[in-house]
This record gives sequence, structure tokens and C-alpha cells, in this order.
Amino acid sequence: MATLDISRGCGRKRRRLDARTAFVAALGVAILETAVAAGLPNSSAKLLPPEQAFRFSARAIDASTLEARFDVADGYYLYRDKLRFSIEPVAARNVELPPGMRKHDEFFGDVETYRGTVVVRLPLHEPSQGRTLTVHADSQGCADAGVCYPPNPQQLKLVVPTSPGKPGAYVEASPKGWFK
Amino acid sequence: MTDGAPAARGGRAFNSRRRALILAGSAAAMVALAGGAWLFHERRAASRDGAAILSLVLPDADGREQAFSQWRGKVLVVNFWATWCVPCREEMPQFIATQAREAANGVQFVGIAVDQVDKVRQFRRQIGLNYPALIGGFGAIDLSRELGNDLAALPFTIVLDRAGRVAYTHLGPVKASALDALLRNLTPAA
Repeated sequence: MATLDISRGCGRKRRRLDARTAFVAALGVAILETAVAAGLPNSSAKLLPPEQAFRFSARAIDASTLEARFDVADGYYLYRDKLRFSIEPVAARNVELPPGMRKHDEFFGDVETYRGTVVVRLPLHEPSQGRTLTVHADSQGCADAGVCYPPNPQQLKLVVPTSPGKPGAYVEASPKGWFK
Repeated sequence: MTDGAPAARGGRAFNSRRRALILAGSAAAMVALAGGAWLFHERRAASRDGAAILSLVLPDADGREQAFSQWRGKVLVVNFWATWCVPCREEMPQFIATQAREAANGVQFVGIAVDQVDKVRQFRRQIGLNYPALIGGFGAIDLSRELGNDLAALPFTIVLDRAGRVAYTHLGPVKASALDALLRNLTPAA
């Protein structure tokens, strides 16, 4: 509506509008070009290294249960069937991965993916209060921008609390030698 | 410029036109700057020579050793890919079409799969691959990193010119128009 009124205005207003339109258009082009310059969406400059795109942490829920967690950054996803956990020196048993979002892949058939936060319970083979455990996670995921990362092994150490009924704090995996 | 009456009458219009010009000019400068930055980014690896690639020997999907030196003198498009990488698979039909079209101009595509041989064989058959699919395994990721793939992600594409110099490196799917333009530059009509 407003645009219509202005365009019917006198010549001077119109010229001003032309100038402004030219500026806005030029600015738009400039912004667009800058985005292209940044290489969006394909630039490595804007892509996260895998350990930041897929942040791995874990905590002890009780003496016999750990909880592993992946925080997947916006615009990234993990493959459910590529997600693996192992614990040392006390092994995990009956690890059940939560269902993911199902999508059809022409080559692999139906695959499930995770976005956002994924929480996985890791029941321990034996009560382990007071022990230091190493939790390994293997994951593989991609960015919507059009790149995939190779399988990414991460690990962290945590101490299972001795006091019952109090979950431990989340411990984050520290970045490994891969990228730094 | 004089301050005569005619100039004053047209002053406002002139000012707005001049402002538009200045603004358009500065916008154009920004565009040029951004373009320059992009070119710099894309060509960061351009000065490197492709000796690391041309000295490679990798098995193909049939188990035969393939030396990259056999493609010396060609415009070589080396694509790091995997079957588990959807964006990699999605751009391959474009590579197949370009290989078919540009083979006579001395363009050779070579895929290095960060993958297992059985998966590569199956996919090669399925898609009708018309260029070599070499098996790099996960070690190929390290190789690609040495060649500028800082994030070690896929797909990653490198183009060598006929003299074996790195003319282009790119992480992520390659735009068909960008690749076509590049190949046109590197394969001037004789």
C-alpha cells in the first residue's frame, strides 16, 4: 500500500525513491556477494570441526549407569547406525539407542538420523562407584551445507560418584589431536 | 561548478542522483572486495604444485594399482568421496556427464573413495561410473588434509591443470557452472 502511494508521488519524491531503491538494491547485492564470498553454504570457513558440530559428553546417573550425550549443532545431523559407545575398564551392556528421524537413502535404504540433543543410557556391567571410567564414542555425521565428516572417535574420563542417588556432573570430551 | 539558477533548480535531483551514484559505487567496491576475498580463498592452494597427487599410486575398485602419473598432462579432477556421504553421491552424476563431454578435451576425473571396496564397487555399478574409482580408505582423508582440506570433510575436489599445478580446491559440492567455467579456462580450444 505505502509503496503504491509513494510511487504515485511527485517527480522529486520519485527520484529520491529511485536513489534509495538503487542503494537498497546495491546493498542487497553487496550482502549477497559477501555471503557468496564467505562461500555459503559450502565454505569451510563457516563449517564447524566435527568435535564442535557433535559435542560429546557423559555423566554417571548412579553406580551402575552412565548417560552419554551428543549435542548436535543446528544444521548438522548424526547417523544412528554409526553411533557406538564403549566403556573401559567396566564394559557397558544392553545399550539401546533412541529412535532417530527416519529418512530414505537411495543407496542404504532407510536410515535414521539425530538432530539436537541425543541422550543414551549406558548400563554398566557392574556397580562402579568411585571408579574412573573412560567412555569412547564413535560417531559420523554431516552438515546440511553439503559435507560429511568421516567417523569421529571421541573419548572422555569420568569418576563414578560414591554417594548413591546423586548423578554426577556432565564431563565433556576434550578436543583430540585431530584438529589441534 | 557555478551556483547559477539552472544548477540550483536541478540541485536536488542532481544530489540524489549523485548520492545514488556514490552509494552504487561504494556498493560495487564492496562487491569487488568481497569477490577478491573469495578468489583469494579459492585460490589459496593454487600456488601449490600437484606433485603429491601425481606421485600417488592407489588400487582401483578391481584391485589394480593405478599410478596418477599416467594422467600427467591432462586436466585432472580429483574428487574425494564416499558412499556414506550423500552430498558426494549427489554430485557424481554431474561428474559423469562432464567426464563424457570433456574427455576429448583432455579432462580426466579420478575419484578417491574414503570407503570400503565392496561398497564402492556396488555404487560404481549402480551409478554407471565412467571414470576410475580408486580406493583410498580413511588414509585418504589425511592426504586430502595435506592438500588443503582443513576440516577433513567430504566431498573435496582438486583440479590440476595440464602442467600439474593445483588450479582449484573446494570442500563441498562443486557448482556445475563453476566447474564448467574452470574447465573451459584450463582446456582452451586448440
